[in-house]
Amino acid sequence: MAQGVLEGHPSSDGALILSINGSLDTTSTGQAWRRALQLITEHQPKGLIVDASRLTYCDGAGAALLLELRRRQESRRQPYEIQSLDPAYRALLDLYGRWDAQRPEPLAPADSPVEQIGRATVAVWRDVVVLIAFVGQLSSALASAARRPGLVRWKDALLTAELAGVNALPIIMLLGFLLGLIMAFQSAIPMRQFGADIYVANLIGLSMLRELGPLLTAIILAGRSVSEEIDALTTMGLEPVRFLVVPRVIAAVAMTPLLSVFAGLLGLIGGAVVMLSLGFPLVTYIIQVKSAVTVGDLIGGLSKSFVFGIVVAAIGCLRGLQTKSGAGAVGESTTRAVVSGLVLITVVDGIFAVVFYCLGI
Amino acid sequence: MVRREFNHQVPIITVRHFTAGYDGHVLLRDLSFDIYPGEVFVILGGSGCGKSTLLKHMIGLYQPLKGSIHIEGKDIVTAQGQQRLGILARIGVMYQQGALFGSMTLLENVRLPLEEYTDLPGEAIDRIALMKLQLVGLGPAAYKLPDEISGGMRKRAAIARAMALDPPILFLDEPSAGLDPITSAELDQLIIGLATHLNITFVVVTHELPSIETIADRVIMLDKRTQGIIAEGRPQELRDHSKNLWVRQFFNRQVEAVG
Repeated sequence: MAQGVLEGHPSSDGALILSINGSLDTTSTGQAWRRALQLITEHQPKGLIVDASRLTYCDGAGAALLLELRRRQESRRQPYEIQSLDPAYRALLDLYGRWDAQRPEPLAPADSPVEQIGRATVAVWRDVVVLIAFVGQLSSALASAARRPGLVRWKDALLTAELAGVNALPIIMLLGFLLGLIMAFQSAIPMRQFGADIYVANLIGLSMLRELGPLLTAIILAGRSVSEEIDALTTMGLEPVRFLVVPRVIAAVAMTPLLSVFAGLLGLIGGAVVMLSLGFPLVTYIIQVKSAVTVGDLIGGLSKSFVFGIVVAAIGCLRGLQTKSGAGAVGESTTRAVVSGLVLITVVDGIFAVVFYCLGI
Repeated sequence: MVRREFNHQVPIITVRHFTAGYDGHVLLRDLSFDIYPGEVFVILGGSGCGKSTLLKHMIGLYQPLKGSIHIEGKDIVTAQGQQRLGILARIGVMYQQGALFGSMTLLENVRLPLEEYTDLPGEAIDRIALMKLQLVGLGPAAYKLPDEISGGMRKRAAIARAMALDPPILFLDEPSAGLDPITSAELDQLIIGLATHLNITFVVVTHELPSIETIADRVIMLDKRTQGIIAEGRPQELRDHSKNLWVRQFFNRQVEAVG
């Protein structure tokens, strides 16, 4: 093994002489650092002398080692000396050594679990308060928009309707179709064992129109409307709720039921494909759907998607308004908007389920 | 202001017949210049003249169409594998927005290159990282996240990270962009201090005139129309004695004459 950069031998008066032979840079200092500490532990010297006469190069890492040795000796109140150090490296040591006395205090350790739960609770509570305030603001803005429709920025509303509605149509139709197809396939296999495969039509009709159509639409819109909102919100700063949120809520409220009709319809078509492949004539399927699904179901689904539309647009706008400045902030608030949008949609859906059950719809 | 004198014998960076562009469109044509150890070398020019492009070629991010870029005698254009890593270890880069890792504290940001490239023990890495942060005046902010500090502090932290492995050459991309004049002046002082005390060679891309006059030992000025260097020298000389009218106008902040 090659001789190390740093070697040590005791002097006559009980001090340890560390002689450096070569370069102390980021690659060689690691080994020298360990060796120095090892030698100090072995010898437990009274004093420390560093012989730098054969030091060929020293960078920040080398300076750190020499300063660390000095700090150790000073804390033990023992002598420390560097001999024959090149003036250039002495200047480097002085430069870095200037701050040696002041080491910043590490931040307080992470909160205990209790504190974290407390903080999270407070954060959620604050969020709820903000949400309630926002609902109030939005309601008053919507009420004043209803009183004076001329003040609503209809052009903006139409543009949003196009962006969030028309442009989302293909993906919603595709997903609706696939959802109907998959559900029909999955349910047809077990139901056939009981000779009940005709009831696949009931299942598809009810679930697509009442439940999944509106839900699917709302989920797609939650992911879609946000980025446009934030772009618009960041470029304008005047009365955002009135000027920006109201048109978007109107657009979403108009588009979500329409889109969920498409989602439901395509879901039914997907189911029809499966039923045809199982050997049922199309007429049988249609009659079965008609007998299973009432107008009440359709209206229930549409009223749901109406509320979903408000929720999705409002939460998207709220998070957009809360966007901080900075490169990461837009992405962060987009994620927050989508996540809280999905949570609220699910909560609202649950409330609807209970209400429908109580009303017997 | 007192400027330092340099040994203009052995350049630390040599660029020869450098031609760069993209999609068959040439942006810079046949550039040749030298950078000497310890000097603050400024690449300047108007918007879109290719100064950031030149910098990105010099740090090996892009491949030039023609020419060579030697850093300490090794060509970064043709170097591969270990040799390329060897060259990259000798340079540090401060990107325009700092490019600090947002999930790490400033100290962890500076620790990262040391952890990845050296076998130093943990306490040594801590100590070196802290030293670098103190050098740029950020000792007290060592445990803060990049989000919690100002833009000027982020740039200084980025310089500390670029210096973690003690490279002899630092590349700075628009250090004063987006900073107020006072913060910008502080950064200039830091650059001069590092160049003087640690003998670091700086290659700085900027178009901030006050900054150029404070820090630059030598500048080259790129021009969009000629796709090359239209001026080279000390900023004061170019301002007062350049033969090129446009260069004199740039340094004297005059509007361009029609013609």
